Amino acid sequence: MPSIRLSEVTKKYGSTRAADGLNLEVQDKEYLCILGPTGAGKTTALRMVCGLTLPSSGRIFFDEQDVTGMEVERREAVMLSQVYSLFPHMDVQQNVLFGPSIKEWSEKDCNRLARSMLEMVHLSNRAQALPHELSGGMQQRTALARALASGSKVLLLDEPLRALDARLRIELRKELRSLAKSLELTCIHVTHDQDEALVMADRIAVLRRGKVMQVGTPKEVFENPNSPFVANFVGQSNFFTGKVVSKGEWTIVEDQRGVRVPARPCDMEIGEEVVMAVKVGNTRIKSDEGFLKGTVERMLYEGSNVHVDLVLCDYLRFSVKMPNRKIGEFEVGSPAYVSWNPREALVFPIPPEGLEEELKVD
Amino acid sequence: MSILKTVDEISSRNKVRKGWFGFILIFFLVFIIFPSIYVLLFGISDWQTLQDNVLSNPDRMAVIYGALFNSFGIALIVTLIDIIVGLPMAWIMVRKEFRGKKYLDTLIDMPLAFPTAALGFSVAIFWSVPVSAPVPAGALGWFADPLMLIILLHIIFTYPYMVRSLSAILEQIDQNVEMAGMTLGASRFTAVRTITLPLFRAGMITGFILCFARSLSETGGTYIALTAIGKDSLFFTGPTLIAHLKDLEGAQNVQAELVMVSMLLIVSAILLLFIAKYAMSTLRIPWSKVWPRWERKLSRGLVPKVKDGFSFFFMFLFVIIPSFFIFSYILMPAPEVFDWSGFFSAIMYSFAVAGIVTVADLLLGVPFAIYIARNSRGRLGRLLDSLVNIPLIIPTTALGFSLGLFWGGQNLIQDTTVLVILAHIAFTYPLVVRNVAGAVEEVDPSYEEAARTLGAKPFQAFRKVLLPIIKSSLLAGAILAFTRSLGETGATIAVHPGANTVPVYIVGLIRSDQFYMAAMSSIALILISFLLMFGLRHVTRSRGDQ
Repeated sequence: MPSIRLSEVTKKYGSTRAADGLNLEVQDKEYLCILGPTGAGKTTALRMVCGLTLPSSGRIFFDEQDVTGMEVERREAVMLSQVYSLFPHMDVQQNVLFGPSIKEWSEKDCNRLARSMLEMVHLSNRAQALPHELSGGMQQRTALARALASGSKVLLLDEPLRALDARLRIELRKELRSLAKSLELTCIHVTHDQDEALVMADRIAVLRRGKVMQVGTPKEVFENPNSPFVANFVGQSNFFTGKVVSKGEWTIVEDQRGVRVPARPCDMEIGEEVVMAVKVGNTRIKSDEGFLKGTVERMLYEGSNVHVDLVLCDYLRFSVKMPNRKIGEFEVGSPAYVSWNPREALVFPIPPEGLEEELKVD
Repeated sequence: MSILKTVDEISSRNKVRKGWFGFILIFFLVFIIFPSIYVLLFGISDWQTLQDNVLSNPDRMAVIYGALFNSFGIALIVTLIDIIVGLPMAWIMVRKEFRGKKYLDTLIDMPLAFPTAALGFSVAIFWSVPVSAPVPAGALGWFADPLMLIILLHIIFTYPYMVRSLSAILEQIDQNVEMAGMTLGASRFTAVRTITLPLFRAGMITGFILCFARSLSETGGTYIALTAIGKDSLFFTGPTLIAHLKDLEGAQNVQAELVMVSMLLIVSAILLLFIAKYAMSTLRIPWSKVWPRWERKLSRGLVPKVKDGFSFFFMFLFVIIPSFFIFSYILMPAPEVFDWSGFFSAIMYSFAVAGIVTVADLLLGVPFAIYIARNSRGRLGRLLDSLVNIPLIIPTTALGFSLGLFWGGQNLIQDTTVLVILAHIAFTYPLVVRNVAGAVEEVDPSYEEAARTLGAKPFQAFRKVLLPIIKSSLLAGAILAFTRSLGETGATIAVHPGANTVPVYIVGLIRSDQFYMAAMSSIALILISFLLMFGLRHVTRSRGDQ
């Protein structure tokens, strides 16, 4: 019944820190997604959990037992990577049975297991195929079957869907999650794709520069981000910087030019410098009324939605997702108003390194 | 099975892995690198003796300088000729399609499969005037001058390297770049010279270094060719001077000279390696000026045809025919006294040595190769990666002499067979390491990592996952090492002139004017090497198919 805990884990490569005092807990049978931009240290975190990388300092626990220095093969934490790493000289069945054959299962048990695993991932008729004869999706499923057949109760997924094409990726999200749930696995799934994380995770840990920024359910992380970075990385946001000028039913923020916007109530004092953030998806566009007036600068057709970039009050840049049916109401250059439900607008203290630095995804 | 299991089990312990690697590293340093260059240390620590016996003796120094001058001069001339004739040939091999190309491809590599001793003999009787007649009909006998003969011989040794290095790069160069140049108005010759050739830099330098180093260090074939024309005590290259001095060793004290020559050869070889590394990263081909009219003329009509024709002519007359000429001995009448027993005992001895050497190379070279492949970014990995090349470029006679001095001079090892085996391991070890390291580098480490997370112990991950993937390269390395050991003359003579290996046996036959028997032994050795090389091709071919 594996729960996993990382305590103050740090990994240094020269002067860069791929993990910088990581603290993270994964409950038994939980599906946790680690979400972060490229280079945030997601893969390093995963590799330290299974033992392929040793932390420079800090400790890792499985079921509260210290496994920091334990050999990879004894941890029973199986890794499924984005390149799958199917052994090229073995066919599908041999690949799937690699784990059991290491443990010297009897041939009868092996065959039975192989049958059930291949059935589960719909590859029964390709058991004798070599990896390079399979499509990307099949390779992915073979790798999954191989990981599951090893009997490990911890499944580590390093961008497992990345190499697949878009439609398949979306289909496999559901399949992967329900499989993990039905087998009662503890999963850590690393991804840079926020949609994937939102759909699949029980909880999401947002990682940046080797640090955990926020941990919570998809709903918490999406709706109540604890920093402008998370607000922008999990569902793009529009930002407005200014000072708190009044508190009451709504917080009112005013910038240097006297432009005012409403947001949800907050603990900040009147006069404090703040950043207001509202999700692009929660920002509305109208032709007649709203909080801020501006002009349409660019329209990107996305199918059911249209992405609209606006310049407000001659200097603010906002983006809006507009339903396709309203496409006739605006064109580039036409005047527009934006508004939002103030309950969905969050107020953060101004980040110490400035907003631009805070939002960087490097 | 239980041994495997025990190894599996203990491989899981970090300390065991560290200990094993430490052992491999110590083996490499103590048995391969240090003995190979020990003579440098020996010479420096005993500089006074060198001063008294060699440096202060103008006659002796003149011989040494003369030999080195010959070595470098020959290497330079040969390499330049190789570039001039190798480039059009590489071009033909990569860019042209024609019937029989497959066979030509094999033919180019043939000289590499010849044991150097056999090749030296064949070339000597074809081009030059051997001491013992009769030679088979068809021999040209044009060049009695040893310098000419050695140049012609070394062209055969080096030509395949040049063609191969150039065509390897040529294959990688995107033809579209050249096409773009031509659509922009350049003639083919201009486009090739100004666009493709500069991209070629790495291939040119690799080819240059390979050929130069090969020519500089070639001993066996050179020594036998010189012996066959009776000039082995009159004309020297650096490596053959060692062989010659080694021959005199019983009668007079020549150790100081041996030390001197070996030191100079080793230092120049190592310098060459560094210059090569430096040149790889910095050298540029400066030609960007164009002469459109002349170059257009060179691109059309007769010129390209003449160029191609000349490439084929050169290859056949200077490379293929002299190599195979030795087979014409089959048509000669056999002498009355004719005995294979000497050959058989020599071949048994050679096989035993080569077999032991190959097994040792594999056991101790594969872990080393894996280490340098997996740590190619680390400082130690890079250092070992360069160090392992040293025995490859040092002339084998110098290496053999140094190694004999190290083990024998201290009375550490007396047994000559053991010394011969150690010497052969020293220059074949890098072949195995290079081949295997190259293959391991191509294998994504994630395979072994996946195996580990699936529960495999390190040694299980190696033998069930990595080993099957690199199997063919491993076998290729083993065959190369075996063949190389089988055909080696120089190192063996330098360690123990009386060793009963086939090449040394052939040298002995030539010396005692038994040319027919020498030819037959050479042919037998060639056929054995061909069989091995054929196996090698088969192995590497099937790797390509995967």
